[in-house]
Amino acid sequence: MTAEKNIGVYLCSGCSIGEQLDMSTLEGVAGEMKAPVCKSHEVLCSREGVKLISDDIASGDVNRVVIGACSPRVMTDKFWFDGTHTVRANLREQVVWSHPAGDEDTQAIADDYVRMAITQAQKTDAAEPWIEGEYSETIMVVGGGHVGLTAAREASRAGYPVVLVEKAGELGGSTKDWKKVVPSRPPYREPEDNPVSGLIAKVKGDDRIRVVTGTTVAETSGMPGKFEVELSNGSTESVGAIVVATGWRPYDATKLGHLGYGASPDVVTNFEMEGMLASGGIKRKSDGNAPKTVAFVQCAGQRDPEHLPYCSSVCCAASIKQAMQLIEADPDVMCTILYEELRTPGVTEEFYRSAQEKGVVFIKGNVESVDGSLKVTYHDDLIGDDVPLEGIDMVVLATGMIPNSTNPDGEDMDLEEEKQIYIKDDINPAAPFDVAGYAEGTEAPEACARPAESIPGGSSILNLRYRQGPNIPILADGFSDSHYICFPYETRRTGIYACGPLRRPMDSEEAAKDAAGAAMKAIQVIHGVKAGRAVHPRSGDLSYPKFNLDICTKCRRCTVECPFGSIDEDEETFPQMNPSRCRRCGTCMGACPVRAISFDNYSVEMLTSMAKAVEIPDEFDEKPRVLILACQNDAYPALDMAGIHRHQWSAHVRAIPVRCLGSVSLLCISDALSVGYDGIVLMGCKSGDDYQCHFIKGSALAKERLSKIEETLQSMMLEKERVASMEVSIADSAAVGKMIDDFVANIVDNIGFNPFKGF
Amino acid sequence: MNAPTPTRKYDLGFARWVRDNIDHAERMNMCMQCGVCSGSCPLRNEMDNGPRKTFMMVRAGMKEEVLKSSTLWNCVSCYSCVVRCPREVPVKYILHGLLTYAIEQGYQEAQDTDNYKFASAFWNVAAGSGRVDERVFTAKFYLKYGIGGLISKGMANQKIAMGMIKSGRMPLFAAPHKIKGKGDLKKILAKAAEIEKTKHASLRDGER
Repeated sequence: MTAEKNIGVYLCSGCSIGEQLDMSTLEGVAGEMKAPVCKSHEVLCSREGVKLISDDIASGDVNRVVIGACSPRVMTDKFWFDGTHTVRANLREQVVWSHPAGDEDTQAIADDYVRMAITQAQKTDAAEPWIEGEYSETIMVVGGGHVGLTAAREASRAGYPVVLVEKAGELGGSTKDWKKVVPSRPPYREPEDNPVSGLIAKVKGDDRIRVVTGTTVAETSGMPGKFEVELSNGSTESVGAIVVATGWRPYDATKLGHLGYGASPDVVTNFEMEGMLASGGIKRKSDGNAPKTVAFVQCAGQRDPEHLPYCSSVCCAASIKQAMQLIEADPDVMCTILYEELRTPGVTEEFYRSAQEKGVVFIKGNVESVDGSLKVTYHDDLIGDDVPLEGIDMVVLATGMIPNSTNPDGEDMDLEEEKQIYIKDDINPAAPFDVAGYAEGTEAPEACARPAESIPGGSSILNLRYRQGPNIPILADGFSDSHYICFPYETRRTGIYACGPLRRPMDSEEAAKDAAGAAMKAIQVIHGVKAGRAVHPRSGDLSYPKFNLDICTKCRRCTVECPFGSIDEDEETFPQMNPSRCRRCGTCMGACPVRAISFDNYSVEMLTSMAKAVEIPDEFDEKPRVLILACQNDAYPALDMAGIHRHQWSAHVRAIPVRCLGSVSLLCISDALSVGYDGIVLMGCKSGDDYQCHFIKGSALAKERLSKIEETLQSMMLEKERVASMEVSIADSAAVGKMIDDFVANIVDNIGFNPFKGF
Repeated sequence: MNAPTPTRKYDLGFARWVRDNIDHAERMNMCMQCGVCSGSCPLRNEMDNGPRKTFMMVRAGMKEEVLKSSTLWNCVSCYSCVVRCPREVPVKYILHGLLTYAIEQGYQEAQDTDNYKFASAFWNVAAGSGRVDERVFTAKFYLKYGIGGLISKGMANQKIAMGMIKSGRMPLFAAPHKIKGKGDLKKILAKAAEIEKTKHASLRDGER
């Protein structure tokens, strides 16, 4: 970067900014801040306005740009000057659109925002990307079932080389031999031929796909673009991204004794039924006769807190399909499906109707027991009575799906041994939310409670050589995903994408779409990291955290708190960054107690300097100042939206957008209080089980840290109510103003002004 | 047309038998138990089970309970259920199909409903004399409730009867109405019974 920082301030007077603010005062502020260039324009985003800026950059007068106009969330394409550091002051949405015109307090906000933006430009640089060494474009797909085959095929069709690793001796996975699947095409009324054999042929005939069967992954190290994967056959693959498509396995039916499994050989699971349908004739195991009356028991060991708490979502359609196949083979077979709630979403409803028309009988009831003589007793809610069904020849239990988030054939992970191999002394690799690993004397947040049985047996699939453990985090009910509504396919390990029933229960058609999605994500990350760009959610961000190891105290907070496992530890337990694993949330920066971590364009110093750039009126003005550190993902947009809707809020607050509340260091808070802010609000996303945080645990960590600040405040003789955290979503624009007003009113009415003012 | 006599109270085979043998019941399996039929039925309070539950009982194989049910008799063919059923199940027709079968099988005595008593008295008089005489019909209907029923119901309706007599609507002493050619009526009814036995299904499809 150029040593001299020639800041050009460009103010826009369009969109009623010029009518409501005194532009000459704003220009005066720029002069006060010693910005060498300051220009105003009526429509800065017009071609003429942009030319004004780019001409100054071209002539060399200006090498960093401060734009005082609309929100930094809009017009990013217009105000983009390659290679020039650009900073935005939000004078439109959060000043003139949300505060009364011509008011001195409104002018004061605008003045402060220009001061803050100039300070930000002084304290930061344009980000320089991290690009180093060789990058691989190969995509590794782990799992050669329907999902894995589809992922491999999609990646190859997009032009990328693929290594497909399958544990079994041949491709196909658990559905390989099945005859029929639930229909995927209109009119959705008849079972469809299983597409897997066709897929296998296509994959085998594909030059770009290399298939490795009978092999598992022994070890995975590195980072996106540079993964080094050791296979159990001794070979090593360099790959750019990994798609995990390990699929599912059926729930262990031997645990379903109350439903007759084991009591009679003629009680079978739906999985066993598929096997029988694949091999041809359906015969009772007891006497070899073809069954004439078949009862399907839905939700066998599912939606049941003692077995699987969730719905596997496919079993209703699967039982319908099996019943249709039975009737197709012999129209005299009587099929009865006993269900609690029949779940046939979307077009599967058509399939359900088709089965009804074919004569499959559906009975709503909770099956209570199946005995050795195949007497099925169910409680019929619609008749209001317990009904015993007798004379049944075969009972099919619709057991659920368990995700293969570990390899069930492998040995159970010996966590103790795992630690000896790689994990430093005290971290529990199987507990992603656990906070073990803090150095002695460091205050660790409380661990999230996780039931022991949520850690599945078996060996790790990828055997990651990551400081945070060998697995991609295994979350609720054993599934692996980041946030399956907002960020499908993302795991909490960048460059590794989960798809299919590993993420959540789904049928083969859905899983195939999932596979394509994960393959596209893999391609995205390969391209992103080659240019040093971040992937979702800060797509395209070139900055990355830099560590000043001279002042590092090896407390390990950063390595433990990183939501994405980006930071390892070297032999001396110094943090070791893997930049392309990073999603640039800055949680490490917020965690570091000594400000050793910063980005080119984002740092603790930047935040505190911006806070300090605000002019704090003294106590006698009776104008409090409240600092809002607002998460860029939801809270800051909510404020913008409030402005767009012309909702007003207190003129005494100043907002700074932050990457994530996780990036807010407690040092920012104590610094701000020491210069006289009367209150501080951390405004971020919803935390907890139904979190909305784009970086998973940023807002939870901020809350956690905040609970520790009380002591600091006490030592400063300040009230703890001065610092609050608020959870807002982007949809809260109508409420956010009132939340702020209430907080400010509480400070003014009940707490009083900060005694540090003026020091 | 005989349903297999169930060996048990609940017989899964009954549902399929109904589907294959009862008029219009081929769409019965489409029922998704939403309850719109029972909810729409103006006579639901007069029924023991209502159409929705009746269908569920057929599925559960409760043949005896279904055929003895008052639901079959108390349907007044208002067609609300047929019009409203989201699955296009001809509910009213199926109930009537079940009713016809129940009568054939001699279940009507078990269905202790006013409608059955009324209908059987009406049929008795109409088929016997070709006309319905108010006095004969009322007496036969009330007698279905026994001698006590005849007296108490007769007393209760005294005022109406007096009104009818006064206005000449119901002669006190004249002989009951008759038609000419009663023998022909008997032939017609015999022929109708024969047709019903052989091709009632196709005839009733025409009705629909």
